[in-house]
Amino acid sequence: MDSLAAQLQMKYRNYVLSLYQQGFLDDQFTALKSLQDDGSPDFVAEVLSMFFDDCVKLVGNMARALDQTGTVDFSQVGDSVHQLKGSSSSVGAKRVKGLCITFKELCEAKNYEGCVRCLQQVDIEYKTIKAKLQDMSNLEKQIVQAGGIVPQVDIN
Amino acid sequence: MTVEQGVQAVDQFPVGMRVLAVDDDQTCLLILETLLHRCQYHVTTTDKAQTALELLRENKNKFDLVISDVDMPDMDGFKLLELVGLEMDLPVIMLSAHSDPKYVMKGVKHGACDYLLKPVRIEELKNIWQHVVRKSKLKKMKGIVTNGESEGNSDQNGVRANRKRKDQLEEKDEEEQEQERGNDKKPRVIWTRELHNKFLAAVDHVGIKNAVPKKILDLMNVDNLTRENVASHLQKFRLALKKITNEAKQQANMAAANSHFMQMSSLKGFGSFHHSPIPLGSSQFHGGAATMRHYPSNRTFAGMFPHVSSSLPRNLHNDGGHMLQGTPFPPLENLHINSNNKAFPSFASQQSSLLVAPSMVLEGHQQSTSPSFSPHLEINKRLEDWSNNIPQSNVHSEPDALGWNMFGNSTNQTYFCRDTDFGSSSAAQADSLQMKQQHENIFSPMTVAQLLRSSSANEGLFMGQQKLENGFMASDAGSLDDIVNSMMTQEQSQAEFSEGDWVWVA
Repeated sequence: MDSLAAQLQMKYRNYVLSLYQQGFLDDQFTALKSLQDDGSPDFVAEVLSMFFDDCVKLVGNMARALDQTGTVDFSQVGDSVHQLKGSSSSVGAKRVKGLCITFKELCEAKNYEGCVRCLQQVDIEYKTIKAKLQDMSNLEKQIVQAGGIVPQVDIN
Repeated sequence: MTVEQGVQAVDQFPVGMRVLAVDDDQTCLLILETLLHRCQYHVTTTDKAQTALELLRENKNKFDLVISDVDMPDMDGFKLLELVGLEMDLPVIMLSAHSDPKYVMKGVKHGACDYLLKPVRIEELKNIWQHVVRKSKLKKMKGIVTNGESEGNSDQNGVRANRKRKDQLEEKDEEEQEQERGNDKKPRVIWTRELHNKFLAAVDHVGIKNAVPKKILDLMNVDNLTRENVASHLQKFRLALKKITNEAKQQANMAAANSHFMQMSSLKGFGSFHHSPIPLGSSQFHGGAATMRHYPSNRTFAGMFPHVSSSLPRNLHNDGGHMLQGTPFPPLENLHINSNNKAFPSFASQQSSLLVAPSMVLEGHQQSTSPSFSPHLEINKRLEDWSNNIPQSNVHSEPDALGWNMFGNSTNQTYFCRDTDFGSSSAAQADSLQMKQQHENIFSPMTVAQLLRSSSANEGLFMGQQKLENGFMASDAGSLDDIVNSMMTQEQSQAEFSEGDWVWVA
């Protein structure tokens, strides 16, 4: 069992590192993790769950705003983008945040096609990070089940 | 609080400090709450600015500090900031994903103690308690000055006591404060509500034309107040008035433009300003409106600050030259006497919000490229408030309000009185009459003269847009007399209006 736990821990470590290296996550995620302690063991899960709910909602808003027959209200789209930028930066979803910055510029430029494309990317991106974080969470559970402790991954 | 208590309080302060956190984003709010808890603060959260206000109003002593997001759907964070500052005098920290310096500037101008960028880190939150301490120190000092006045102490304990306390308290804080405000080393005079009221009374008494610092100082009869203090306060006051009236005029202009075709081709970028009361409706100037509400019924100097509201429409069109040329209003920053947004307590609550409101309005306005009634609505509402608060008797007692002064500084401005049928609503009419008395005189020399004679339905005042464009010039023009006279001359020389709606009031 120890070796299983150890193996899982290694796998976990590599996985988390890769997420940072590939730019999916940033320091803010680390900070978020550090806020989780015995007093609030589900903090990260709770925050992420909220974040992904927000994603669904905001992406929906953006899609609706961009899908109008007639004039598109780019400021409305921009507002949703801004909000997504805020929450993605707060959880450390680096790629989503980066996309939001681009998206915002496109909104300001009222670049319809650009916005639509960007929205598609945002959609893909948040779902991707959601899946990856889910995988990470699963690994954590496996480690604990295997009797191990989830390691603190040192990004540096 | 004695010094000792103060020190102890500081020691204890970070722990258990009561924070109200406001953010419509639930993810951010949860993270913020957790971070604050980690700093050992006591946290209350809400995702609605309105709820936050209610909580605060319920009991302002329940909280030490407010942290608020800037972009919220139900209320602009800046507006909330203003309201909290005005009503509860609590330190407010702004939070935003906007890193644009202009937002930071806006926050500062509206009185934010700090502006944090998302994502917020715990290190930043660990030190926010300093704002609470700082603010309470300020309050203490204010209290001291007030006490000094009321006791009429001749040993100058008021201002000196401030100094003493400052010395006793952390040296560093003192330095920080002074550096922050960019002050020299003189003890700072805090213009409390009472002090400001005295100032207003004095100015009112001598009349705007005679509003010289020496006379005001004499009338105020406050110890520890120097002529210089009064002079700088007076200057700021005038600037504020000017800005406000300009803005109000611009709004009126815009409103007028909507209902009347204004032609001011003869005016170089002058707008007409009509401030008839119109129900408040602008979301653009929400800040202003809200702030107006809280004006205490202390008088304003003969209706000097009648229309704080609206900002000058920045981008007024120039078609036919009948709109004010859009130029951004200079920040009202210079109106803030101290870093505390409530420089003029009584007046301040009126004033600073007045002062603040225009800028807020302005900023909102800046982004608009077409005139709209909304600012007008805002202004009118404010005017209503003002008029309700201003004793009617003031109307004719003074030839003109301080506002004249402000207008007078520009030599290229003409002032027109426009007689428009602004009374688009009966309420407007009633209010307009009421306000007119108080406000007309502010806007144009001519109206002043007129006012003295009778009240007519004239409410249009044109403000020199040029002046506005250049920001508010310090009224270092000579005497008020000169200003008024120059204004009158100008007016009389420019009377060309092609539209019948415009009536020269001479």
